[in-house]
Amino acid sequence: MTLTSKPLAALVVVILFGGIFFSSALGWWQTESTKEAAKITSGEFAGQANPADIRGSYTFGDAEKNFAVPAAVLAEAFGIQDSNPAAFAVKGLEGMYSTSGQEIGTSSVRLFVAFYKGMPYDLSTDIYLPESAATILRTRTLNSEQAAYLAAHTVPNPGAAPATSAPQTAPQTVQATQTPSAQPTPKAGTPSASSTDRTVKGTTTFVDLLGWGVSQATIEKVLGTSMPAAQVTKIKDYCTEKGLNFETIRPALQAEVDKVK
Amino acid sequence: MITLFGKRIRLFRPKSIWIRKVVQWGFFILIALISVNRALAESGGVSIPFLANASLHAVCPFGGVETLYQFVTVGTFVQKVHQASFVLMIISLLLAILFGPVFCGWVCPLGTIQEFVSNWGRKLFRRRFNHFVPDKLDKVLRYLRYGVLAWVIYMTAVTGTLIFAEYDPYFALFNFWSSEVSIIGLVILGMTLGLSLLVERPWCKYACPYGAVLGITNLFRVFGIRRNESTCKADGACSIMCPMNIPVDSKTVVRDHQCISCLECTSEAVCPVAKTVQFSTRVALRGAK
Repeated sequence: MTLTSKPLAALVVVILFGGIFFSSALGWWQTESTKEAAKITSGEFAGQANPADIRGSYTFGDAEKNFAVPAAVLAEAFGIQDSNPAAFAVKGLEGMYSTSGQEIGTSSVRLFVAFYKGMPYDLSTDIYLPESAATILRTRTLNSEQAAYLAAHTVPNPGAAPATSAPQTAPQTVQATQTPSAQPTPKAGTPSASSTDRTVKGTTTFVDLLGWGVSQATIEKVLGTSMPAAQVTKIKDYCTEKGLNFETIRPALQAEVDKVK
Repeated sequence: MITLFGKRIRLFRPKSIWIRKVVQWGFFILIALISVNRALAESGGVSIPFLANASLHAVCPFGGVETLYQFVTVGTFVQKVHQASFVLMIISLLLAILFGPVFCGWVCPLGTIQEFVSNWGRKLFRRRFNHFVPDKLDKVLRYLRYGVLAWVIYMTAVTGTLIFAEYDPYFALFNFWSSEVSIIGLVILGMTLGLSLLVERPWCKYACPYGAVLGITNLFRVFGIRRNESTCKADGACSIMCPMNIPVDSKTVVRDHQCISCLECTSEAVCPVAKTVQFSTRVALRGAK
């Protein structure tokens, strides 16, 4: 049997598109990942979604679905000013932080999620986080190794003032080029009490509430006003600022926390 | 027909396989649209619905090869590679078993752009074009792409990431505006296009890992380039015209791992004698003898 160019052209096109059509009919033609992170197969966290499997194509919303880390918290951590943080694609971070001096991208989100969830993460490579992310993580449970790593791998947010002029309430930012031993002692293993016992107290922040699964809409409904842009703000401080009675707000918020337990 | 010294001589004008160009540019435009469409979709702009979700990685069959090790050992795909790449790899392999690396010669947009640039090189350097590399060196360099293939598979298996994307000129070609493309990818693309002025398909000949995979099928493909020795006038036209510099006139069956099944050497194109160099099965050649 001999083939000339025209039948060969037809066969190439038909087999190629026919194959795609056939595979599509069988449900095999998938041009996007399922956005379901692979599960950890062994150890203490077996069965849980693996932060190391977060991909650049994930949105903060996908990360929220997989890891129960609110998209709003991720947006706060990485300085995303977006009305819909759930739609922000993780791979967009690299462009945003291109002038930070250190790469902040998908691996930073993986690290943040792992630390936020109190999960172990391979710290053999240098992964950097912006100061805003480090601030949130310092309110979470970190072991001494994680805290030291965080202290040595934090870079200022783009456009942020130098660390020396940072507000007193924020932990001191450290440059990655400095040695960890030269840094102030991080809050290793000393998370805010409220972040572990899920009790709304004077030290509880909005990040804590979001982390416990209380939605932004619910919080705002209880407050009767919108949440602050800086979600690391203590609720008590915000209530004082807005002229609200914290002792009235606190039990209402606690009731919402208890609902999602 | 012309008359020369009283004899009527039929002039032979080699034809090009024009339908191949149509198919090649059709796929080039399709891939370009998919890539642009993806960028538009990601930026929240207007996009073509059918193409909206396809990334460039999803429509590259080499992704299937890259993820093969992880798929077999872990059951998952390497990051950025999707099931569609796997499907395309299987379809391309089926095509290659039947017809050889037609994916390279008829579909691959990187091959198309190299051929396009080579048209200028052919005009610039005429007969020297595609003959700059000394034969001995050329023969050794032709196996370099198997080294690239081994490196890509090993590094992808070790790192679990799509390591080749950083160096891939195909990815750089259709994403040159994106921050996802590395400088080295753009440099390799530039070098490939620059060398295409001197050599036909330099990337395919010396570096393409997917061409290395598909090239193996030339050893056993069902349809192949076959030369009928009994009618061959040994004018060497087929060898001169071959973009991959294969000495077709010295073979009865082309099993060279570099053949891309472009049909430019056949009697339909450059060979002046009918039914002498054909793309056929073994049975057809026996019948012709």
